[in-house]
Amino acid sequence: MKTQVTLAATLAGLLLAAGCSQESSTATSLTTDPAVPVIDGSKYLLSEEPADATTVIEAREKSEDGADVVLVGRIGGSVNPWVEGRAAFSIVDPTLKACSDIPGDECKKPWDYCCETHKLPTSTAFVKFVDEDGRPLQTDARELLSLKELQTVVVRGKAKRDEAGNLTVLASGLFVRDTSKPSTSQQ
Amino acid sequence: MALLPWEYGIRNLLRRPLRSGLTLLGLTTVVLLVLVVVGFIRGLERALAVSGNPQTVIVFSLGMGENLEYSSVPMRTSDLVAASIVGVQEQYGKKFASPELYLGTQIRTSREGAPGMGLVRGVTPSALLVHSQIEIIEGDWPQSNEVIIGRLATTKLGMSQQQTRIGQPLWLEGREWRISGVFSAAGAVFESEVWCRLDDLQQAMKRQDLSLVALTLGPDAEFQDVNQFCKERLDLELQAVSQVDYFETLQKDYKPVRLLAWLVAFLIFAAGVFAGLNTMYGAVVGRVRELATLQTIGFPRRAAVASIVQEGTILAVTASLIASAIALFIVNGSAVRFTMGAFELRVDSVSLLYGCGTGLALGILGSLPPAVRVLRLPVVDGLKAV
Repeated sequence: MKTQVTLAATLAGLLLAAGCSQESSTATSLTTDPAVPVIDGSKYLLSEEPADATTVIEAREKSEDGADVVLVGRIGGSVNPWVEGRAAFSIVDPTLKACSDIPGDECKKPWDYCCETHKLPTSTAFVKFVDEDGRPLQTDARELLSLKELQTVVVRGKAKRDEAGNLTVLASGLFVRDTSKPSTSQQ
Repeated sequence: MALLPWEYGIRNLLRRPLRSGLTLLGLTTVVLLVLVVVGFIRGLERALAVSGNPQTVIVFSLGMGENLEYSSVPMRTSDLVAASIVGVQEQYGKKFASPELYLGTQIRTSREGAPGMGLVRGVTPSALLVHSQIEIIEGDWPQSNEVIIGRLATTKLGMSQQQTRIGQPLWLEGREWRISGVFSAAGAVFESEVWCRLDDLQQAMKRQDLSLVALTLGPDAEFQDVNQFCKERLDLELQAVSQVDYFETLQKDYKPVRLLAWLVAFLIFAAGVFAGLNTMYGAVVGRVRELATLQTIGFPRRAAVASIVQEGTILAVTASLIASAIALFIVNGSAVRFTMGAFELRVDSVSLLYGCGTGLALGILGSLPPAVRVLRLPVVDGLKAV
C-alpha cells in the first residue's frame, strides 16, 4: 500500500513538473525563438550622429523610391508603434508635439500623439531594419537596439515609397539622440 | 472498529420512502442546477475557444477595438493584402483571403413580422477556405438573394424551426431573402450567424466597403508579417489581430458573466448544503432513540456517525447520477441565446466533475453536523428521547 502511495505521488510530481516545464518553455518561446539566429544589434547602432538628417515631413515630400535617406524622428505615432518580434517601428516628425510635451497633459501613452492625430498621416514614417536579403530582422527593436517610445532617433537607410505616399525606411543604421543635451545638428 | 452493516443504512433509507424520496429530489435539483450553470460557462468558453484558428488573421479598421461591426475598410483591401503579404495560404492559385461585411441587424420572417436581432455576414466562396470549420449540413450555398443560416441562428433570432426551414423567406436590410441551406461550424460562434453573398449585402445596404478581411497564413508566414503590413500602409488605416487573440479578448470581456455564473453555482451549492442539513437534522432527530440503542448494544458512536454519513452519501450519489443523466440527455446541447450569438450548453467531463463533486459534498457536508450531534448526546438521554 505504502509503495503504491509513493508511486502515485511520484507520478503526480512528474506530471506536475512536466506541466510546469511545458508552460515555461511556451513562455520562453514568446521572447526568444530558438529557430531565429541571435542578431547583434550593435552593428546597427551608429556611434556618431549622421549629418544632414531630414525631418519625416520633409522626407515624405522629397525622397524618392530607392534613394538613400537620413531621417530624424521620434518613436511613436500610435498606442503601439512597434511590430512585436520585428526590428520595425514608426517614427513621427520631431516638430509634432507628443502629449508629454504639453504642460499639464497627463496622457498615459503620450507617444500616440493623440493631440496631433490629424497631422499624423503626413508626419509618420515606418522604419524597418532588414538583412542583406531585404527581409526584416526577426528581433524586436526594443530588445535589439534598446529603444523605447518617444526617443529621438536618426535613421540611415533607403527610402521605399508607394503610390499612396507612404514612406518606409529600410534602415541600416540608427543613432539615438540624447535629448537631454542641446542638439547641434540641423533638424 | 465495528461498523453497522452496509445494508442497515440502505434499509433505513427505504424505511422512510417519502422523506428519502423528497431528499433525493432536492439533491437532484441542486446538482442539476449546478450542472446547468457549469454547462453554460463551459459552453460559452468552448464556443469562443473553438472559433479561433491560430493561422487566421483578421484585418480591420484601426481604432475599432474588437468591434468588427463598426469597422469599415476599402473593398480593394482584400486583394491588396493578399497580394502584398508573402505567405498567405494558397490553393490552386486561390489565396485564402476572405472579404467580409459583418453587422448586427434586425431580421424578420415577413415584412411586418416581429424582428429578431441577428448577425449577418456577407461573404464570398473564399470564406469556406478561411473558415475551414464551416460545413453545409443541409441545402446549398446561397445564390443571389439567398441566405445560408448557421444551425444556431434559429435560437439567436428567437424563431421557430418552421420559420427557418430551407425555402422560407427572411427579411433583412429591407429585402426578402430565401433560406438556401444550413451550416455548422464545429461549435464556433459562426453557427449563430446568417451568411449571404457579399455583393448582395453591399447592394442591400448601399455600401461598397468591407468590415474585415480574414486571411489564413501558410506555414512560412507569421501574424507579424500582416501586422507589419498594416503599420507600413498608413494610408489604409488598418490593424491586424490574430483570430485566436480576438476571441481571447471576447473571453476576457465575458469574464464578469462567467464570474457571475460561478457565483450562482456557489449560491445554489450553499442553498443545497443548508437544505441538506435541514433534512438530515430532521432525519437524525427522529432516530435519536434508535441510534442510542445501537450504542447500548455495543456499536461505537463512530459507527452511528458513519452510518448517517453513508445514508447521506448514498442519497447524494444517487441524486448526482440522476442529475447527470438528465443533464447529459436533456440539457447537453441545448442552445442558449446570447449577445454574441448563441451557443450550446456543454455538459462535458468538467461539468460532470463539478456537478457530481457538488452532490458528494452535499451528501457529506449535509450529514456530518447532524451526525456529530449524535456523538455529543449522552446515551441515557438518547434512550429517553421521545
